[in-house]
Amino acid sequence: MSTIPRVSSAIAGEPAHFGSVLAHQPAIAARFFELYGAFWGSDVLAARIKEVARMRNARVTECGFCRNVRFDKALGEGLVEEVVDDITDGYETSDKLTETEKAVLKFTDALIHDPELLNGDARAALQRHLTPQQIAELGLGVSLFLALAKALITMGLEPEQMDRTVLPTPAVLEAAE
Amino acid sequence: MSGPIHASLAATNGALAEKYAAFVAASEGALSPELVALIRQAVAAVHGLGAAPDESALDEATRTALAYARRMPFEHTAISDAEAAAVTHHLGEPGFVAFSVVAALADAECRAAQVDLPELAGV
Repeated sequence: MSTIPRVSSAIAGEPAHFGSVLAHQPAIAARFFELYGAFWGSDVLAARIKEVARMRNARVTECGFCRNVRFDKALGEGLVEEVVDDITDGYETSDKLTETEKAVLKFTDALIHDPELLNGDARAALQRHLTPQQIAELGLGVSLFLALAKALITMGLEPEQMDRTVLPTPAVLEAAE
Repeated sequence: MSGPIHASLAATNGALAEKYAAFVAASEGALSPELVALIRQAVAAVHGLGAAPDESALDEATRTALAYARRMPFEHTAISDAEAAAVTHHLGEPGFVAFSVVAALADAECRAAQVDLPELAGV
């Protein structure tokens, strides 16, 4: 896995990172950030649940950037490091993750790794804990986390080293008046 | 648009469905429709969802891009600098960015289909 950018920054004076590289395609960048902001801004599914799925994806896809970023909204909903530490293999036995979060993690593993993991019991658990609207939103989120992680990795945008970093949760930018 | 992610959203959250469709359209619109279709078909074939595209009449640039796209589902961490440079040589940097997004989305769409996301979302 390369930590040397395979694409240059499209923004003068800025190093190559996801935003500056995506700027080679302004329309894609604009539509992505609108979508990602709307996804995180929606309250259909709690930010903590979304972040649990994002952290699992980060670990399975080996996305170092994703793994070290924390979004503040989920932190405010109690997703502290002691809980994040349990988002690893064997999460089924965690006493810090809720049953809803374990069902979400099983769905996440099925989508990003092996669809066979979502067997009858796991499907039933997911549908017991989440509404159809929440499942659709979760499906979008996990798909975006996966695609974003793979795009970052294959474009060589993984950091060589990165400290844990708390960032503002993505939001829809208001149009300038 | 079609696809399991949009289908599940369209039934439950029209605003997000519209934004997802706009993102996919912008991504795919940055490449030729022929290349987008081939990428989606090649990635789907890796997932066992249909036949691989017939590459016998394709030019070298397209075959290089498809070989790269086929690595996205299960070998994304093993793609080398040389493989990425070969695709960038043919598509240019903006094209490589769009290609990376389209291939990654194609992989995610296949995976959403394999867990039957629309059924889970009550569609």
